[in-house]
Amino acid sequence: MASWHRLHPLSPLVRTGRHLVGLGIVLLILIFANHSSGDGGNFIGDIVVVGVALVAGVISWLVTRWQVADGVLRIDTGLIRRDSRRFPLSQVQAIDVVQTGLARVLGLAELRLRMAGADSSGGRLACLRLADAERLRAQLLSMAHAPTATVGAVGPTGPPSQVGGPERPLFRVRPERLAGAIILSRTGAYAAAVIVVVVLVIALTGKPGVIAPFLAFAIGVVLSVWRQFNTEFGTVVAAAPDGLRLRSGLIQTTAETIRPGRVQAVRIVEPLIWRAFGWCRLEVDIAGPRQRRENRSEGQRLRALIPVGSRAEAEQMLGELLNAPPRPSRRAPGRARWKAPLSYHFLAWAGDDHYVTAARGRVCRQTTWVPLEKVQSVRWVQGPLQRRLDLASVRLDVAGKRVTGSIQDRDVAEAGEILARLPDLARAARARGLVR
Amino acid sequence: MTVGDPGIRWQRPSHLLLRARRIQTVLVTVPVALVGGLIGGTAGSAAIGLGVGIGLVVAGLLWERFLARRVAAWGYAERHDDLMVKRGVLIRRQSVIPYGRMQFIDVTAGPVERSLGLATLRMHTAAAASDARIPGLDKADAAKLRDQLAALGEAQAAGL
Repeated sequence: MASWHRLHPLSPLVRTGRHLVGLGIVLLILIFANHSSGDGGNFIGDIVVVGVALVAGVISWLVTRWQVADGVLRIDTGLIRRDSRRFPLSQVQAIDVVQTGLARVLGLAELRLRMAGADSSGGRLACLRLADAERLRAQLLSMAHAPTATVGAVGPTGPPSQVGGPERPLFRVRPERLAGAIILSRTGAYAAAVIVVVVLVIALTGKPGVIAPFLAFAIGVVLSVWRQFNTEFGTVVAAAPDGLRLRSGLIQTTAETIRPGRVQAVRIVEPLIWRAFGWCRLEVDIAGPRQRRENRSEGQRLRALIPVGSRAEAEQMLGELLNAPPRPSRRAPGRARWKAPLSYHFLAWAGDDHYVTAARGRVCRQTTWVPLEKVQSVRWVQGPLQRRLDLASVRLDVAGKRVTGSIQDRDVAEAGEILARLPDLARAARARGLVR
Repeated sequence: MTVGDPGIRWQRPSHLLLRARRIQTVLVTVPVALVGGLIGGTAGSAAIGLGVGIGLVVAGLLWERFLARRVAAWGYAERHDDLMVKRGVLIRRQSVIPYGRMQFIDVTAGPVERSLGLATLRMHTAAAASDARIPGLDKADAAKLRDQLAALGEAQAAGL
């Protein structure tokens, strides 16, 4: 196992694939544009660019190698500036298998390791053969579970499981419901508005050229809808011994395993129109790096276990993720209406020894569950208006991307009591986690 | 003002913090007022320039009145298992950071703070949202507190 491995020989092609497609389009346009003038200079220039990109990719492939030894994944790369990275598997938060469109055609896949660090880009192995990637992921996960490697890991890591064991399907998104939900969501509304405006402007002025300056923006909005559909299409969640398996994607497919005990927060989002259909969205937050530039749009969003599903499905998934989670039942005092007239009807919280849950939101109800053992710090906040009304809020910070459990607009005495008791409860929960 | 346990013994930043904040206010107000006055003077008339300059100086003075309360609002308390930090006048905040959750601690000092022998202590947890800093500590105190917190953090360290 300690021998060095190389990536798949076709990986340079896949890694530059995205640029190749773009360059191909540019090339075609240039060929048509230059056809009349007979000027081939740009054409040759572009071929040189493509060639350089490919050669750079091949060199990077030649000097990249990886190894698994002693519970550490090591990736060496770089021709001029050698770069050797080690990823202790016990610290791995999740491992994803990502297939871009081109990689799928070639039967390749990329392996992404997500570590807890806020900035470090996790480990990436691009590309391996799909079967190899799956096997490697199973191996790495089982090594991460090994008892010797659990130093610093908190939470139920479970016994060293036979990875690749039986899966119990939990959820499968319905394509037509997903399409409907995205159209009825905020991104969908934006895209629809943009399309309507574009059509109207063209119809009224009769000159399509007018919208040219705004075309990039319009395309961006429509693309964001497409991207959401593309990433969330065919989401399948299954429970396996090593955690929840999540697969999704239309063209670019992603498969990831969410290890139990790594979930920092769970959130159920119910936008206004979705509530009429009884739909909701369930997202989990996992500690991990902010995503790199190429997929920032994915990184901004939380991982949706249920992109859209019925309330019952969400409840079932919630029960799978958390152990007997409480419901937000304690409503905010009536005078909070003056401070938060639009969101008062949703404000509520509840807590027990294991979790704190809080609901908020104006039009779109967001209910957040935070496991107490994951709480990093507790904040008590009181604005000027809240002071006038004798209210205060308490926030629970977790190590995820941007979810904060926010107990909004409570009575000052109650908020003070929460602030006094929560750190002790969180410590007790942590201690339990360590013993287990 | 103080919520929770009334028996908390709050510690305050150094009394020099107010002076540091005043110097910082002067250092910002004077150039801003000068530049604002000059722009007003060249674009409009000399009277407009003077008015803008005086207005900005008055704004700085008003801010100065506010400073004392802001500085007085800072406080921190080392409890058995966690550190409490309170701050803010208009928006009051009180944070509880368990020692075991501290990822790293740094001590910084800007030029003004340095000239007065002060430093700012900042604690980082794995959550980006938790902000815990104590400004205007005596440099020696800051170093001592940092070592103390680091030791406590190590003793109670918890994973993610």
